[in-house]
Amino acid sequence: MADLIQLLTNGLALGSVYALAAIGFVIVYSATGVVNFAAGQFVMLGTFAGVAMLLNAGLPMPVGYAAALIAMALFGALFYLVVYLPLRTSPVVTVIIGTVAIGITLQNAALLTFGSWPFRLPSPFEGMMIEVAGAVVSVHALAVVATTAVMIFLLWLLLHRTAIGIAMRAVAQDVKAARLMGLRVQWLLAFSWILGAVLAGVAGLMLGPMWFADVNMGDPIALKAFAATVIGGFGSLPGAIAGGLFVGLAEVLGASYISSAYKDLIAFGIMILFLLVRPQGIFGEPIQDRG
Amino acid sequence: MLRIEDLTVAYGDIVALHGVSLEVAAGETVALIGANGAGKTTLLQTVSGLNKLRSGRMEFGGASLAPLSSADRVRAGIAQAPEGRRIFPGLSVEENLVVATSSWRRLGKSYADDLAQVFDLFPRLKERRRQLGWSLSGGEQQMLAIGRALMSRPKLLLLDEPSLGLAPRLAEEVYDRVGRIRETGLTILVVEQNTVLALAVANRGYVLETGRVVLAGSADELRRSERVREAYLGR
Repeated sequence: MADLIQLLTNGLALGSVYALAAIGFVIVYSATGVVNFAAGQFVMLGTFAGVAMLLNAGLPMPVGYAAALIAMALFGALFYLVVYLPLRTSPVVTVIIGTVAIGITLQNAALLTFGSWPFRLPSPFEGMMIEVAGAVVSVHALAVVATTAVMIFLLWLLLHRTAIGIAMRAVAQDVKAARLMGLRVQWLLAFSWILGAVLAGVAGLMLGPMWFADVNMGDPIALKAFAATVIGGFGSLPGAIAGGLFVGLAEVLGASYISSAYKDLIAFGIMILFLLVRPQGIFGEPIQDRG
Repeated sequence: MLRIEDLTVAYGDIVALHGVSLEVAAGETVALIGANGAGKTTLLQTVSGLNKLRSGRMEFGGASLAPLSSADRVRAGIAQAPEGRRIFPGLSVEENLVVATSSWRRLGKSYADDLAQVFDLFPRLKERRRQLGWSLSGGEQQMLAIGRALMSRPKLLLLDEPSLGLAPRLAEEVYDRVGRIRETGLTILVVEQNTVLALAVANRGYVLETGRVVLAGSADELRRSERVREAYLGR
């Protein structure tokens, strides 16, 4: 029982990180139609923004986190300006290939800057443990789950209770109509990239202390976040959350009860099963056309 | 208020509008009638800034529209209820309306009055304010499209085939509301295949055929014209 509680906590924490990465991915996808193959590298960059601010620059924790997230927001804006904006009139496939190229560039830039030796990004709750129903669980894992819950709530408020959020949803649903209603579409698309990058940054900062900060960490995260969106329902935000938690739990529980060698096989096996049996995912697209 | 001179618009090699000129004076309701493919929608989209013009001039309130983006044209006072309604399907009725207030910076301040006015004009929308756009019937969607265009407090309202795909009774209901909007003094340019309905509400009209204005006149003149009767009124 104690083991199970520990595993569930760790699985939910890992799943929360996947969920945030998947949400960032979905926000960009639904606003711009671009499948961002650099999404995993965005998370890696978030982790290394933490490494740069906390370890290299030696900033105190709250300041360092804020600086890392501001850096990620600037990176999102830069990505919009350098990759999306010049290619926006080309077919969307061109932009997607652009994200692949940038992903490879980012990974190698990180390798050049930080080297191949992994870093240990500290947690504000370094080494702290707490007893829950007889099980000892890490405070960091609980904090990750709580932070993710707060982020999701804030995101929901943004998208449903603020003018900019409602406008973002409008742009995601019909760009042409949004133009005709006087919305500043390019600003809203830029904001989507910034938001996607910041969410990836939060995921990266939380993941750093759970894994090692390794320049090659982006690819496995991208694959898990992608699996999460397929399982949850491509383009759906609740789906990204459910799918992310599902993949995280499957990975941790599978590693413990089945075999750690097969933990990825379990997550991807479930994804393939979904593609075969229920390709629209758990939350099939709720929006339909009415003739 | 709106003056279009010698407007030519092309999609690649296909010329959709050949030197079209038309004018809409303040307070007028003008109908632009013509068959499918005549270029009516192209004209409205060009006024709203969605198409590039090959040549010609467009003026709104005495100033050229050329330097204005689509968003700026809405702020200048040109609102459109587009062809096919283009309701935001995943936004509620109220969100569809609120999102169209001419600037989102203005939100939270003055849109309550505008919302009340639209609900006053279309009480059915008020009943369904929490429902998602896609779940509305065709007639309700059309009313929402018109209401949404009104939310930016336009000076000129562009309506693109408001009767399209609606049962005759619903089309009449929609035009009844267009008439009420006209009574408030708003300038309207309505594009329509349903000539009877459009000419009933309009002061003046233009007939567009394969990208050219072939006839212009008062609504009465057009109704009596042999050409319109044969081609569009089926008499």
